[in-house]
Amino acid sequence: MTPSFNRRLFFVWLILVGITTSYLWIDHEATHSGVPTASAVITVAAICLALIKVRIIMREFMEVRGAPQLLCRLTDFWVVLMGVAMLGVYVAGKAIA
Amino acid sequence: MPGQPDMWVFVLFESLVFTSYFCVYLYSRTQHEASFLRSQAHLLLWLGVLDTVVLLTSSWAVARCVQHARTGWYEQARRDAWVAAGLGFVFLVLKIFEWVRLIHFGHTFTSSQFFQYFFFLTAIHFVHLLIGFVVIGVLILQLKDPKRRRQETVETCATYWHTVDFFWVLIFALLYVVR
Repeated sequence: MTPSFNRRLFFVWLILVGITTSYLWIDHEATHSGVPTASAVITVAAICLALIKVRIIMREFMEVRGAPQLLCRLTDFWVVLMGVAMLGVYVAGKAIA
Repeated sequence: MPGQPDMWVFVLFESLVFTSYFCVYLYSRTQHEASFLRSQAHLLLWLGVLDTVVLLTSSWAVARCVQHARTGWYEQARRDAWVAAGLGFVFLVLKIFEWVRLIHFGHTFTSSQFFQYFFFLTAIHFVHLLIGFVVIGVLILQLKDPKRRRQETVETCATYWHTVDFFWVLIFALLYVVR
């Protein structure tokens, strides 16, 4: 008999792989005649999807879901911090350029 | 708390270090967008997707290892750890293949700014993965010996392996997908 945690972990893995393969579609949308073109929307979407995956890995694979509140909040804060830093630098860089 | 608190301090600290690398890369990218796009076009996205799926599957195996160890099914937990190590090895082979292919076509550390970041970020991740093999080795030894088995150590080792996985998730998005 398959334990219930195996089923849950399998679905988590499936979601993570699904998000990963969605990048192929995103790339297809951002490439015109085989030449990649600059796109702020694609950049922001790619970073946000990656951060969602990081949070899922932390919550489910790293078992933060059942950890004390402090670790739950701290890891969530860290994901937001990474996102704000990367997107902030990207937007600031675009403005300067 | 899953694993030792010290490992979590390490994870959060390393996340900040990698985030700072990513920020420098993203800033450079915005200043030389056309050049970065030209270089990026030489990467194979499907290979990056394959790398990611391999590492995610390896992480899944480690997550199962932790849960099997918790239920006392140590034989299965050890098998999961071997699967994780095997998939980690597949990732290393894919990465070396990608480096050799790029260098063969003249894309080296000094050929463009994009490839400088590409080789730096993938190499630093590679080093973390090599350390991960030592960690998985400790995990397998712990699971083998009934006198040494401690769930906290199993979880600590798993936390490190997952961290290497999520660093790659970010590196993949930034190097292969962003435009």
